Amino acid sequence: MTDRNLLIVKLVSLALVAVALVIAGIQFHDHRNYQEEVVKGPGVTQVKKLSDYFEPLKGSINDCNIYIIDSGVPGGTAFLIGSSHPEEPAGNLTAQLFVENAKLAKGRLIVAIRANQSASRVSRPGDAYPLYYTIETPWGEKKFRMGDRWSSPLDSWPDPEVYVNYPSGQLLAYMDVRNFNRTWPGRANGMITEQTNYAFMNVIKEEGVDIFIDLHEAELEYPVISTIVAHQKGADIAGMASMLLTSTEFRIGMEYSPKSLHGLSHREVGDHSDAVSILLEAPEPFLDRVRGITDEKLLLTGQDEFVVMAGKYGLLYEKIDEKGWPIDVRVGRHCSTVLMIFELWGDFNPGKEVVIQQVPRYDEVVQNGTGYYFRDPSKAKTEDIYYE
Amino acid sequence: MYFHAGLILAVIAVTFAVAKYFKLSVELSMLLAAIAAGIVHAGGAIPVRHLVEGSFTYLDVCLIFITATFFMNLLKESGGVAFMVRKIVITFHKTRLLCLFFLTVLLLIPGALTGSGAATVLTVGTLVGTVLSYMGISEKRVAAIIFICAAMSAAAPPVNLWAMMAAAGSNMPYVGFFQPLLVLSAIGAFFAMFFLGAKGKNVELEKALKELPEPPEKMNWLRVGIPFAVLIFLIMAGRIWPFSTPTIGLPLMFVLASVSAILLSPKKLQILRIATETIHSLIPLVGIMIVVGILIQVMALSGARGLISLGVVTLPLWVLFSTLFLILPVSEGLLQYAVAPLLGVPLILLFNMKGMNAIIALSAMAVMWPIGDILPPTAVVGRATVMELKFKGHYYKDFLKTALIPMGFVLLVATLFLIFSNELSFLVGG
Repeated sequence: MTDRNLLIVKLVSLALVAVALVIAGIQFHDHRNYQEEVVKGPGVTQVKKLSDYFEPLKGSINDCNIYIIDSGVPGGTAFLIGSSHPEEPAGNLTAQLFVENAKLAKGRLIVAIRANQSASRVSRPGDAYPLYYTIETPWGEKKFRMGDRWSSPLDSWPDPEVYVNYPSGQLLAYMDVRNFNRTWPGRANGMITEQTNYAFMNVIKEEGVDIFIDLHEAELEYPVISTIVAHQKGADIAGMASMLLTSTEFRIGMEYSPKSLHGLSHREVGDHSDAVSILLEAPEPFLDRVRGITDEKLLLTGQDEFVVMAGKYGLLYEKIDEKGWPIDVRVGRHCSTVLMIFELWGDFNPGKEVVIQQVPRYDEVVQNGTGYYFRDPSKAKTEDIYYE
Repeated sequence: MYFHAGLILAVIAVTFAVAKYFKLSVELSMLLAAIAAGIVHAGGAIPVRHLVEGSFTYLDVCLIFITATFFMNLLKESGGVAFMVRKIVITFHKTRLLCLFFLTVLLLIPGALTGSGAATVLTVGTLVGTVLSYMGISEKRVAAIIFICAAMSAAAPPVNLWAMMAAAGSNMPYVGFFQPLLVLSAIGAFFAMFFLGAKGKNVELEKALKELPEPPEKMNWLRVGIPFAVLIFLIMAGRIWPFSTPTIGLPLMFVLASVSAILLSPKKLQILRIATETIHSLIPLVGIMIVVGILIQVMALSGARGLISLGVVTLPLWVLFSTLFLILPVSEGLLQYAVAPLLGVPLILLFNMKGMNAIIALSAMAVMWPIGDILPPTAVVGRATVMELKFKGHYYKDFLKTALIPMGFVLLVATLFLIFSNELSFLVGG
């Protein structure tokens, strides 16, 4: 090839790359800035910001909303968070369902829908995640951001050579400095994810949270699945919830939070506050490495031939058939499990009850669909709409 | 879904083969294969966002080996590498085994820091090769030693690109690999050096020194050692005082070590030229990392990655144990670093499911892969070795054939690590 032709090839290649960067850049920009509408439910009495509990987060990407649903009747205080890992959508959908529907007869419920906003505004290179997913509602489609497991490098970069969890000193993978469920209990002068955990710990302490639940999903190849992971302080409640749910609604296990595994909410929240800490896992075939086509359909239906085949070879820790694990099933499991845990909390702790009403249980969510429980922002008052 | 994913794999294979037929490089062939697969999956559209997003998959890894290679090139240009080689020769020329030992250690450093065997060949390979030839070691044995040690240096910790890429793809921390990788790579390198270089004579000191480049007069151990000390200090500070040390990342650590190398260099370094040459020499490596990211993203999007993963995880373990020593080097020769996320990730998944120690197993694989860098069609490190050493013999009959026994030894040891991963789990650490 002559020098002139080579130059032409290089210039054309450069132009094509520039065009591709612009096209993709616009999509990344839109995804990062897309705001999800949340209609304040009838029970919400106050909406605060996370920075109210830790000033340095004010104006940062992780300054999420803290919804407070207060019955006005003395009781306990529960705290529910979704989107610790935004690639696990049942978590934020369940949390939003609580915000838009829950009314409390006793005690208080605090909810964070998008606990790690930064991670919800980035996708994962190499994994081909869709940028968004939509949930059917009676009034149309509701669009959500699909996020990643880790905070965006735009907000937290570079990573350390190795991540050392504070204060345990446990060594973790370098990228886990951006993993919201490896950075508990957080660090005031740490990276943004650690600061976010620190702020959440302040919420727990300042609001006097009695019981804390962190909503997650897991791949079927992962042994900790379809289960309640509990700090030893909440083992009795988790064990009882597992038994009752398994005998009445669906099979769910219970596991103790390992005492030597640090950085996770079920361990650190319990260790560093008075709250009982519990983490829920629902099955999400989308996360499996053997999955087939990576798209919104798989994310929402949980149906995948390859994952089913892996199950036939005994390579999975949860059952799966051609029906998959639809999002409504996963959200329904979370709803019922949270409600059951709060009911048992009240039974075990008289005077500290958190009595929740108007939140559907598993059967209702599966029958009506998750979208049925989302309110139409176009019919809501402007002041009742919040953005995540 | 099986048909669709199979079709995508076929499109990738055919496009890659056609592009190679037209003499395109591995990187460009792979890029075309990824774009073609993306278009077929998207029904004629170009999945632009996925192509761009995939290209960023290994950005951090690229930054690490670019800055690390810059660091090594600065040491070479300042005369530090020549100084170290000469000092080893002068100090140990009467004790052949010690001389071989320290030359092996020296060969392991550049690749260990950069993750690239070619970096070892380019920075210290020629100089060590010169010394070895004055120790009565034949030309083909010298070439084989330099290649195996370069391959083992790429496998050596802290930077092993295959392990890093496969671990990242498996959501597995790249933690605990230091010791198993060090043990495996050291065994391989020392075996090659002593097996191929044991027979011979002590260094012909005067002749060797005459041929080795003269370092600047003011070069000394402090000037060579402090940049390494700076690097080690920065790495260790983050571990010893993690909550009071600012997070600067490995690339900046290499840059700071480079700054110290520049300041301590006894001669004025042409920084811009060295940086330009570093980037120029790394273009193929950076290119393949970018393209591999794109290919993996398209394969994940289309289900092709899942099909390969499913195919791998449903294989009986004994089949893998008895074939991986061939599959891994051959696939490395074909696809280079692309094999780590492509084959490594599902294998890690399988090993995890089977209750094996995934860190030991991945370490074993990550030592087998670089052995394939002597094999066609890419043979990146093998070709660099014969070019740099100005090897006059035949590539296959002399060079490759001589390297076969050490290669087989490394593959055997790595296979044993794979089979007995649980028994060897005490090695995990670092």
